[in-house]
Amino acid sequence: MSEAAMAHHEHVSASERPRALVVSGVSKTFGRGGSAVTALEDVSFDVARGSFVSVLGPSGCGKSTLMRLIAGLQPASAGAIEVAGRPPEEMRRDREFGIVFQQPILFDWRTVEQNVALPLQVMGRPKEEARARVDHMLDLVGLSEFRRHRPWQLSGGMQQRVSIARALTFAPPFLLMDEPFGALDMMTRERMQTELLAIWADNPGTTVVFITHSISEAVLLSDRIVVMSARPGRVLRVIDVDLPRPRTDETRDTKRFVDAEAEIRQLIFSQEGR
Amino acid sequence: MSARARSWLWTALALVAALALWYLLAAIVQSGDDPLASAKLPYPHGVVEQVADNASTLAEAGWTSLKQALIGFAVGSLVGIASSIVMAQASWLESGLMPFILAAQMIPMIALVPIAQNVFRDDDLTRIFIAAFITFFSVSVAVLRGLKSAPPAAYELMASYNSGRGKTLRFLQLPAAVPMLFTGLRIAAPLSLVGSVLVDLSGAQSGLGYLMLAAITFGSEGATVLWGAMLVLLALGFLMSQAVVLAERLLAPWQPGMRGGRAR
Repeated sequence: MSEAAMAHHEHVSASERPRALVVSGVSKTFGRGGSAVTALEDVSFDVARGSFVSVLGPSGCGKSTLMRLIAGLQPASAGAIEVAGRPPEEMRRDREFGIVFQQPILFDWRTVEQNVALPLQVMGRPKEEARARVDHMLDLVGLSEFRRHRPWQLSGGMQQRVSIARALTFAPPFLLMDEPFGALDMMTRERMQTELLAIWADNPGTTVVFITHSISEAVLLSDRIVVMSARPGRVLRVIDVDLPRPRTDETRDTKRFVDAEAEIRQLIFSQEGR
Repeated sequence: MSARARSWLWTALALVAALALWYLLAAIVQSGDDPLASAKLPYPHGVVEQVADNASTLAEAGWTSLKQALIGFAVGSLVGIASSIVMAQASWLESGLMPFILAAQMIPMIALVPIAQNVFRDDDLTRIFIAAFITFFSVSVAVLRGLKSAPPAAYELMASYNSGRGKTLRFLQLPAAVPMLFTGLRIAAPLSLVGSVLVDLSGAQSGLGYLMLAAITFGSEGATVLWGAMLVLLALGFLMSQAVVLAERLLAPWQPGMRGGRAR
């Protein structure tokens, strides 16, 4: 716990730190002519280094597309994205992003520890270094005793923990998560949220971009929430969450948490009548 | 009873049923006054007797056919895997090569064997070529499909590690293709043996097919030899197929159909 508390000390207020991610006027259109679909329209926000930002919106608001643009997996149709002052594509080539998808995407032919070691193996890191790093990550996500299991022998929550361990095993400065807990049941989901905060605390300086459709999840985890509307995806508002850290399960029951949640819910519902 | 034992029991029952049907049909055929009836469909025990009497001849012929089939099977598998890897690299390669692979498959084996015999002028080489030719098709089509079986997010994951073509092939596409590879091998294994025997039948001087042909030429006494050779062929094909299943169990036990609930 003391380690986590110290790490949290570094998570100082968002506005004082340099911006790690700047999204300005970004649009994304799929297809051409009459069948063209605009997924994102004029999206702008920025994220401080080492902070936790959530992109919150209903399905169809293009938030997964936004994550893929930030990750340098697809180009934006218009506008610019700067990650640590550089284009996303370049950052991806330099292996600056750890990605977690809604599905864990674990390889069935590999054991849990081999899955966590995959990025290090692809990157050609020395075996000794890789082993130590994998040990640390498995310990961090509490799966050390399942290291020789196969992915399909684990529960959904455990599989997603393997996926998180894999994303952080090469210590990327950015962690991009696309509705990572969306396929989990409510109870597992809430436990994973607090676990993610502990994991994040163990990797200080990591900037997290978290895609979600859950308001309470966004409020509990984030320093900043980008609230989006659907079809086409636009930014409704960027909200800073100033709940004190470390945040735990008890945080969910505080008045400030409930108020913040209510404020965002009203913001989203007030847009529905447009 | 374990699921494994139950599946063996069903196989045994099916064998007994087939044997009973054979006896019944043989009895019907031989109940008439056709003097050649016992040559057309002899009783199973007569065939087994014949196999026992000619064990060394049948074993030698069987080994000749099997050996070249195995070499051809291996060569065809390797070429099939290589060609599927090439085709998986770009859609233009696949659309360019696939028609030729399909066209090659449309050539009747009966027509291909004499051509191959003229080219190679050697029974062994011809057997290897025909067995490889048959194996190549099912393996390349199956593996190509397997190479493309990973979900898009898995490719995005590899892209986030800046994994190049070679590493994506090694760490994602090839392992993902293993189940389909074994499907292709399982189909090809007995067919490659049939291909090898087909060469025996088309004028070769040895092998199971040669023995069958010789048996027919020798008149009604040879009929049981013909059936005996067929039994040997059947057994060899079954063995090849089971060997592939065993290899799959050992090399790729992580597949959904093989999960026994145990770790590792």
